[in-house]
Amino acid sequence: MQTLKHIGIIALNTFRESIRDKILYNIGFLAIALTLFSIVLGEWSVFDRAYVIKSTTLSVMSLSGLLISIFVGISLVQKEIQRRTVLTLLSKPISRAAFIVGKYFGLLAVVAVHLVLLTGIYYAILWITNSSPTVSLLTAIYLIFCEMAVVIAVALLFSSFSSTVLSALFTLGVYFAGHLSDQLMEQVKFASRMGELRGASSVILEKAAVVIHAVFPGLYRFNVTNYVVHGVALPDMYVFWNSVYALGYIGVFLAIASWWFSRRDFL
Amino acid sequence: MIACMSDLMIEIEHLHKTYRSGFTMKPKLALKDVSFNVEAGKVYGFIGPNGAGKSTTIKVLTGLLNFDSGKVLVNGISPRDVKSRQYIGYSPEQPYFYDYLSGRELLRFYGKLVGLKGAELESRIGWALELLHANKDWIDRRLRSYSKGMMQRVGIAQAILGKPKLLILDEPMSGLDPMGRRDVREAIQQLNRDGVTIFYSSHLLSDVESISHRVAMIVDGKIVREGTVDDITESCGVEYHIRTREAILGADLPRGVSATGHPQEYICADDVARDRLLGFCLSNGIAVEKMDHKRPSLEDILTEEIARADA
Repeated sequence: MQTLKHIGIIALNTFRESIRDKILYNIGFLAIALTLFSIVLGEWSVFDRAYVIKSTTLSVMSLSGLLISIFVGISLVQKEIQRRTVLTLLSKPISRAAFIVGKYFGLLAVVAVHLVLLTGIYYAILWITNSSPTVSLLTAIYLIFCEMAVVIAVALLFSSFSSTVLSALFTLGVYFAGHLSDQLMEQVKFASRMGELRGASSVILEKAAVVIHAVFPGLYRFNVTNYVVHGVALPDMYVFWNSVYALGYIGVFLAIASWWFSRRDFL
Repeated sequence: MIACMSDLMIEIEHLHKTYRSGFTMKPKLALKDVSFNVEAGKVYGFIGPNGAGKSTTIKVLTGLLNFDSGKVLVNGISPRDVKSRQYIGYSPEQPYFYDYLSGRELLRFYGKLVGLKGAELESRIGWALELLHANKDWIDRRLRSYSKGMMQRVGIAQAILGKPKLLILDEPMSGLDPMGRRDVREAIQQLNRDGVTIFYSSHLLSDVESISHRVAMIVDGKIVREGTVDDITESCGVEYHIRTREAILGADLPRGVSATGHPQEYICADDVARDRLLGFCLSNGIAVEKMDHKRPSLEDILTEEIARADA
């Protein structure tokens, strides 16, 4: 009970700290500008206007959520260490795991507010342009949120033991690996079926693809933009199992981050 | 608050700590076989030059640093256990805080972390600020506008909010003007009268001498002296300054007695030299005008220990 209270207090403080971060406002304004620009793109495009607005805005949500998760997320722990505020905080009777989890939920709340704000603008644009807003769009936004929840956990994991720059690079690496691992697996399988993979190097390539696919979070699962913009309804179980999948990865990443952070010395 | 589990608030035995730094992770022994105890209810001063291991020891006690070997207990609990920090209030050297908060907001944040809320939290904040003479307008300004002295007061205020049994202060008087130093000194003494054990490091040895029940001196990661201020200074011997009515020729001065810049004043290195000089004066009919004994200060002893370590 006490731990939950500590997590809540740290999360609230992290939320307060993050919403004062200039990077957040830059990303937020850029996202709003691009969302509004989707109306112009819809007019210019040879494709259906509603399709362009929907796909552009969902991409903007995903990209801006990613930028916040990485650039605000990795600095959260590092800032505490560099500014030495961590010394006073961790001298209180709070566990280091509560610190990590509190930071996580603080940033998750920032991303949630950001997505809710963009969703409001998004639906306003769809309503103004008579572009038939659907409930399935909300499902896509929810899955973007799930994806960001995983990315924040990855960012916190890396920032618990490495520098800001390295954490950013590692997190971006996991993000791209997570999005491309399925395609890589498919390509390797296809090449193997076609008999194009031979010798020791092919075995290594196949094994590497399997490992990447198995270890890295499959972030491609959360990208359903192509389905929802064409009005394809997603099965409820797809959303449910992907939520469970995200929770599993978040739990593992936060557990490793907490374990690593608890071994650290603070000078 | 849980009752005190031990008469010893801090127990440290054979503590070793190594830092590893650089690309090659070259080890540097920061604490070498450090042992001392702090009794509950005492003010304990921890002194030594920069880089001697004071802050390292303090961070081990607060659970911020792990250690290689030895035994460390705070109120009978290992600092690796979060529970040990229920009894501790800690203010780091040159405290840094969230500068987007005001002093009062910061105290509310830390107060909530130690389990305070509502009216109790507000009254505890008021008490801490009163004690440190910090209940002024600036406490509601953003921390980024604070001077070093204001920051130091807020740092100590957040440390005492939870009414800790053990208050650990790392250089609490650095950055303070004479008035600020006096306020902090008085606050430490008041808290100690209320039963709080104080463990603090300082470079201001005159303050340490005046308020500490016991002192440990650390040089190059090793405890070189430990005890009451009297024990430490007396263990180094007493020097006697004697003034006579007539001058004594340099060649006639007994062994262990040296002349000063004043023609009738002499320094005796110890009791034996003093007795020799007094015997000489008696047998030669020289009247003794004045005799003072002078113990070396903590500063003299620390300087000597640093020189010994450097040699």
